[in-house]
Amino acid sequence: MSRMLQIICFIAVMVCLLSAGGKVYHTATPLKIIYPDYFGNRIMIPADNPTTSEGVYLGRMLFYEKALSANNKISCATCHQQSLAFTDGKAFSAGVDGTLQPRNTMSLANLLWVRHFFWDGRATSLEMQAATPLTNTHEMGQSLEVSANKLQKRYTPLFRNAFGSDSITGDKIVKALAQFERTLVSANSNYDKYLRGEYQPTASELHGIALFYSSPEPTRHSRGAGCGHCHGGPKTFSDLFHNNGLDIIPKDAGREKITGQAYDSGRFRVVLLRNIALTAPYMHDGRFTTLEEVVAHYNEHVAQSNTLSPFLQGNSNSVNGTSLDLNSQEKRDLIAFLHMLTDSSFIRDKRFSNPFLN
Amino acid sequence: MLSRQATAQENPAKPFLKVSGEVTTPLTLYADDITKMQHSTVIMKDRDGKEHSYTGVAIQDILERAGVTTGKQLRGENLTKYLMVKCADGYEVLFSLAELDSSFTDRKVILADKTEGAPLPNGKGPFRLVVPGEKKPARSSFQVTEFVVKFAKE
Repeated sequence: MSRMLQIICFIAVMVCLLSAGGKVYHTATPLKIIYPDYFGNRIMIPADNPTTSEGVYLGRMLFYEKALSANNKISCATCHQQSLAFTDGKAFSAGVDGTLQPRNTMSLANLLWVRHFFWDGRATSLEMQAATPLTNTHEMGQSLEVSANKLQKRYTPLFRNAFGSDSITGDKIVKALAQFERTLVSANSNYDKYLRGEYQPTASELHGIALFYSSPEPTRHSRGAGCGHCHGGPKTFSDLFHNNGLDIIPKDAGREKITGQAYDSGRFRVVLLRNIALTAPYMHDGRFTTLEEVVAHYNEHVAQSNTLSPFLQGNSNSVNGTSLDLNSQEKRDLIAFLHMLTDSSFIRDKRFSNPFLN
Repeated sequence: MLSRQATAQENPAKPFLKVSGEVTTPLTLYADDITKMQHSTVIMKDRDGKEHSYTGVAIQDILERAGVTTGKQLRGENLTKYLMVKCADGYEVLFSLAELDSSFTDRKVILADKTEGAPLPNGKGPFRLVVPGEKKPARSSFQVTEFVVKFAKE
């Protein structure tokens, strides 16, 4: 082979390698998730799953993809419906085999700030969380390997764009789902607008805000509902677990099943209150169908037990009172505030809607 | 998974304190281990506005047992270390190491296992952090389960 031919061959090989490089190297576009400064930056994005436009797009498709279930009839969105702030209005959702889930479907919003997922906090990342409903026999009921196989060809370009190679794996499925879920930021409720100085609350709402954040101090003639201790701050969320006095002896031991510690009996995650008016029924077992029932619970029906949250003990607006003792107007005002947390733009946001319908 | 959960409920685990992070010896201390350590008593004003006595182990002693930089070693970059205290209910509070060190302060922060001579009440024990001299007891956190020592990196 002449020297010139060798050089031409070398150049030809290099050109081939370089042109293939566009496909081999990962070039997904980083996506910055926008949220208000007052939410703070203590967010959770794993180093091995940065958020990208292509990853989020794929995740949205997968969120609404029924092929991820064993009977091809259920997607994540079956139980997590956007119009209900990603819940389904049921106490217990049914899986592919018709079995009802043991706990109420949790709403999805502002997951960037959550460090413990599920009612008992057993998953420490959205990636870990997503794998459970996909594969649980009584939920979507399909192994990640089978799901990956079912997505072959149809989804190959989307996986290539998101993760830089044509291979479709269970790991990439849960990563894409987690990326999409992290973009579900709800920050445009009337409460947000009030925090930004764009909305003037009604007198009832303002009173509700004050009650929500104040602890009852009857000796100082200061009335409050003491909700803010666990649900407080602009996010209306803290990553906490409490026994909120639903039962003297809990039917579901909650976090105790994970830690094995007796002090965790009946403890469940303190839920996000954003969009709470849309996410009935309430509590881990969906026992309350209205916010009125929820407020009545905290006001009049907290059950004493060894693991009842210390923050629900000795809280009364009456001197030596044994219950919270809010009056009916105060309860209405508190509920008016809870309705302020409904974000109507979040539940209509096209970025989160079913891509197969658009 | 289900069988493991059933076992956990039948045989409740013993509570413990885990110490990890920037340590030379990671620790898991059970109530018996804590009982054997030197105890001291401090007075703290609680949420009820009244002063109560708490008895327990100095945080510095626990950190020293784990090989955390204390005393003469607490200088230079080690002053950028913090202790994150984690509780069973997910509550977390933070201290700089110097806040807990007898070479910096006379205030003794303890991990209490007794109050007024009796075990801590339900919901607060078995181990409670007691931080005397603060205007509110928000860092005197209940049911402490974990100490994590880290460098602040920014």
